[in-house]
Amino acid sequence: MSKRIFLLVLSVVFMAQPALSADLQKLVRKVEEQYMGLSSKSRMAMSIRSEHWERSLVMDAWSLGRDHFLVRIVEPAKERDVATLKVDNEVWNYLPKVDRVIKVPPSMMGGAWMGSHITNDDLVKANKIDEDYTFALLEETKERYLIECVPKPDAVVVWGKIVYEILRPLEVPGTVSYYDEEMVKVRDMVFDEVRKIDGRTIPLRMTIRPVDEPQESTVIRYSDIDFDIRIDKSFFSLRNLKR
Amino acid sequence: MLLRLASRNLWRNKRRTLLTLSAMVVSLALLTLSLGVFSGMLVDILASTTGQYHGHLVVTAEGYLDDRDMYRSFAPDPQLRQRLEADASVTGFSERLRGFGLISHRESSYPAELLGIHPEMEQTVTSLHRQLVEGDYLADSNGAGAVLGSGLARKLDVRPGDELVFVTQAADGSIGNDLLTVRGIFRTGHTGHDNSLVLVPQQWLQRVMALGGALHEIAVAVDEPLRAAEYRPRLAEHLANGMAVTGWGDLLPEMREAIASFDVSRLIFVCILYIATGLGILNTVFMSVMERTREFGILMALGLRPAQVRRLVLLESFLLGALGTLLGLACGLGLNYWMSRVGIDLSSWITPVTYAGGTIQPRLKAIFEARNFIDPAWLLLVVSLLAGFFPARRAAKLQPVEAIREE
Amino acid sequence: METVNLAWRNIWRSRRRTVITVIAISFSLMLVQAFHNLAFGVYAQMVDSGVRSGSGHIAVYRGDYAASRDDRLFWPEGGLQEQVAALAGVKAALPRIYLPGLAQSSRESRGILLTGIDPAAENDINPLLKKIDAPAMIRSLDGRDALVGSRLLRELKLNVGNKFVVTAQGPHGELVSELFRIRGVIESKIREVDSSLVMVGRERAAAMTGDAGAIHELAIILDRPDREDAYIPVINEMLPGGSELAVVSWEAAMPNLANAIKLDYASQKFIFLIIVMIVTIGVVNTLLMSVMERIREFGVILAVGASPGRLRKMVMAEAFMIGLIAMIFGNILGCLATWYLAEVGIDLRDFVSDSMEVGGVIFDPVLRAAWDFGYMGQMSLYVLVLSLVASIYPAAKAARIEPARAMRHH
Repeated sequence: MSKRIFLLVLSVVFMAQPALSADLQKLVRKVEEQYMGLSSKSRMAMSIRSEHWERSLVMDAWSLGRDHFLVRIVEPAKERDVATLKVDNEVWNYLPKVDRVIKVPPSMMGGAWMGSHITNDDLVKANKIDEDYTFALLEETKERYLIECVPKPDAVVVWGKIVYEILRPLEVPGTVSYYDEEMVKVRDMVFDEVRKIDGRTIPLRMTIRPVDEPQESTVIRYSDIDFDIRIDKSFFSLRNLKR
Repeated sequence: MLLRLASRNLWRNKRRTLLTLSAMVVSLALLTLSLGVFSGMLVDILASTTGQYHGHLVVTAEGYLDDRDMYRSFAPDPQLRQRLEADASVTGFSERLRGFGLISHRESSYPAELLGIHPEMEQTVTSLHRQLVEGDYLADSNGAGAVLGSGLARKLDVRPGDELVFVTQAADGSIGNDLLTVRGIFRTGHTGHDNSLVLVPQQWLQRVMALGGALHEIAVAVDEPLRAAEYRPRLAEHLANGMAVTGWGDLLPEMREAIASFDVSRLIFVCILYIATGLGILNTVFMSVMERTREFGILMALGLRPAQVRRLVLLESFLLGALGTLLGLACGLGLNYWMSRVGIDLSSWITPVTYAGGTIQPRLKAIFEARNFIDPAWLLLVVSLLAGFFPARRAAKLQPVEAIREE
Repeated sequence: METVNLAWRNIWRSRRRTVITVIAISFSLMLVQAFHNLAFGVYAQMVDSGVRSGSGHIAVYRGDYAASRDDRLFWPEGGLQEQVAALAGVKAALPRIYLPGLAQSSRESRGILLTGIDPAAENDINPLLKKIDAPAMIRSLDGRDALVGSRLLRELKLNVGNKFVVTAQGPHGELVSELFRIRGVIESKIREVDSSLVMVGRERAAAMTGDAGAIHELAIILDRPDREDAYIPVINEMLPGGSELAVVSWEAAMPNLANAIKLDYASQKFIFLIIVMIVTIGVVNTLLMSVMERIREFGVILAVGASPGRLRKMVMAEAFMIGLIAMIFGNILGCLATWYLAEVGIDLRDFVSDSMEVGGVIFDPVLRAAWDFGYMGQMSLYVLVLSLVASIYPAAKAARIEPARAMRHH
């Protein structure tokens, strides 16, 4: 009897664990792809509350896979046509006032993108979570999976871990928490307003909250989004950035 | 009576007096000259450091100097401005806004520090307007001109008239950006400043950074930089809450250490100089008294008491020392004057040197400082008295007969 | 010979005068020698510290990297380090790569200079690594161990053992990132170093440029600093033909340090000139005085029948002997003083903090002398010549005096 239990435990430890991690990876990838889509065009509103400013922007965005991304400000009028292009690991800003394209150098990668709580670097490194981490299931209930994502030892990642909440049964992201190496929480990303659009179930709103500054936040809300549009890589060019 | 005798003695033996005197005068003059040159170097280093950027005291919001947080700004205070203008020991002050961002021309861009200034105010604190290698200084505080360091200009490949773009994080969260026209290029010799500093009109920078009417610092220049720390509390008294004054010693701890170490090496050299001078004078006086043992014997034989002989010798050395001091100081003043006007230019041999955050221009130049004359003067008087003291005692102790027979 | 004997007897007859003169001259000689040696030692130290943390005595760069610091001017090391290090008289060859970039922790980001080194070669040489204990040292060329400046560590809110990400520009302008883990902390007291230095194994850093063998600089440390001219052509020969590589001396690679030293040297030369002038007048005066005071004695000598020529020779011989004795004593004293200054030195730590920066390099706050025998010899000779020259005038004068008047002289 005890021997059988022992064997059972052994098989769980040695066999179930890796299989589970791979499954979780698949799950996370699926969730991420849900709201990234292969290609998309969207209109979004970003409202930022920080210690020093409160601002609201309306932007048009185009994306293709994970590596191509173009955003253009529509409102406010003062910043109209300020645009950001991301291709692979590079980021450019277009500044209509001086009619110049400025490539974001390494020294500015830590800077806030459009004054939000997203850094330029977040744009570049975003959405590689399924490649750089190993996964473990912390909690499984009817409502959610809670997945602990630990960076692979050599992954180029500043976080100590990420705790990824996936809401069931729709399998959409809930709260994603980022921790430093001392396992102190640094920031939360909360997804909500889940809707079904073009056959995909996605949260329309994303809120970023730095833990150290609880009164600060960046909220991005899609007002309009089309998936799987006809768009190719040539769209994401410096010429198009300027338009 | 003794005084007359002493001065006559000096006068009578002209050759000996002249010899001793010449040693004193030359040594003293050279000593004051080298002290003057030392002072000149120190002032040069300090002036170049503070005159290139910081000024001697900086008024900021508390904590600004630590993190250069652009939100730690303050509004200009007319009362403070008046007070600074009225203070006799304040030789100038400049209100500034600082901005960090990216400056670019065509394809190349580099990180830069922009200093938003009023040109006429800035000139009272820094010497950048005198270090232009091309173009002109800023004309007003409103246009869109830029004066940048030579290293940055070379990297960007720009000349006066060219256009620059400045991009930064503005205070309202937007991307602050605007065009600038290069007006001038300065070269300080300080690699850090030459590679990253850009002077721009204050109002322009306030607009781009969305910091209308705000300042980050007031740089203050005072008449005696080495005593800047003493002005600090006086200035702090008049500041609003949340504001702080920082002296150059805290702005540039490396500079303070450099000056401390410079002081030590100067101390070492001054010691050698004093020892060498003292030794030379001591010997000459000592010798000249020793050689006169016989003469003293005769004087005592004629009825002069030993105490009187002793006083006579001391008096002679003192007179000689006093005369030497006077002449030496006169020559020293002359040499110092010459060295302060002409100096020794080394620029054909070496370029300006960055030294502990400052830049030294390659030249040797003297400046006048009272203690450079007073200390050596004391030294000379004391040494000549000392040099007279031992032989005088010895002479006084001698039996007249022995003394006369000596040699 | 007889003149010499007479002179020898003469100088000991008036022992007191001789002793004073000898003391004056030998002390002066000691002062000049000891403090020249101190200055000499301090320069040697500055150069040494400068070349160790900087370009080495000789450095290999591509194009005008030394002046422009253009990051694109890297080149494949290709075994050159080993070849150069194997040369006799070369203490070390240090390959380095320098990449400006951004360091990010989970909370902050800061601009940095990523410096890739060969830890094994660098460890004993670079003064920045002096205070790093063996277990805190970078372990390999391509590992993720990093040493970071103390201020940078604080600003990134990290601790030893934590990881951080460095982002730099890749070979085609794209952004490349690498993960590093903090192994040790460098505290140099130079603000720029402490707030922006990240030191890692060179191959890991170089991989960011697309070629793990790439370096910007090969700094070469020689056993004897004065031999750099001899090695420059030798190393030039070893460079692959047709490349843009060039060998430069540290003076050309670090003009700021070279100029700082030259400027200091110029001012010290000026001060030395003054010291030598003061010493000269002291010596000349003492000698003049000692001869002048003896005019009566010379009168007697002439009166008893000595020829003026003999008298002249005798006076000069005396001066020469005094100079010689003083020179010997002066050298003994000078050696003792130099020995003290070389062994014990002058400790500036009471006045300044642990290290100082001059011309962009740190140097030891204990000033130590070094032996410059050439200069000591020169000064000895100078003193000897000086005593002879100083005696010419009185000797001529002595020979011309009339015995009768001289004897009346007192």
